[in-house]
Amino acid sequence: MEVLNDRDGFGVGEDVIGDRPRRYQRRRPRQMVPDYIDWKDIEYLGQFVPERGKIMPRRISGISAKDQRRISTAIKRARSMAMLPFVAD
Amino acid sequence: MANRTYEVMYIINPETDAEKIEKLNEAVGKLIEKEGGEIVRMDDIGIRNLAYPIEKKETGHYVLFEINGTGQEIAELERRMRVNDMVMRYMTVRVDEDRKKASAIKAKRDARNEKRATRATTVKVEEAEAVDAQ
Repeated sequence: MEVLNDRDGFGVGEDVIGDRPRRYQRRRPRQMVPDYIDWKDIEYLGQFVPERGKIMPRRISGISAKDQRRISTAIKRARSMAMLPFVAD
Repeated sequence: MANRTYEVMYIINPETDAEKIEKLNEAVGKLIEKEGGEIVRMDDIGIRNLAYPIEKKETGHYVLFEINGTGQEIAELERRMRVNDMVMRYMTVRVDEDRKKASAIKAKRDARNEKRATRATTVKVEEAEAVDAQ
């Protein structure tokens, strides 16, 4: 197997097996998330918001589903108070 | 009576006089106390850049309150803020439940770590004893 497109070093790429490219990825190691996520702590939340302003998917950040939910609500709260952008260009 | 903790944040029009902002904050504090709430923390964050324009303004004056109360004062506060022209945006978040959950998780983890630590030391002690016996 050969990694054709390992963009961010996260082990995400495509393999051509047969006639169809098959996507695969290696998980990033589990990330530690604090017990209490403060929606005002935009420095911390910013880590899960790439330039475009979207919320980073779990498959890239490597956090648990539960933590992803908590982080996404915190990001949404911060967005509605104009502390984080909905879309950044 | 249910005791809850809320965080109330609002953004004031940055062109408002400082005097008026102070007055508004004072009025908010008074209103909370009148309705039976208790102010845990009051933070006048000041002018900050907005991530996107609100009412065609790029900056806003942020104020944060942390309140212990029943929810009654929140209802009244939100009603007042809705009609106030100075307040560009407001939001209330109930934080006691999430904090409780967080402390529960922490307590669980601490207990587990402690258990692990004691087990590790006992194993070490046993090993040391075994060596001594030899």
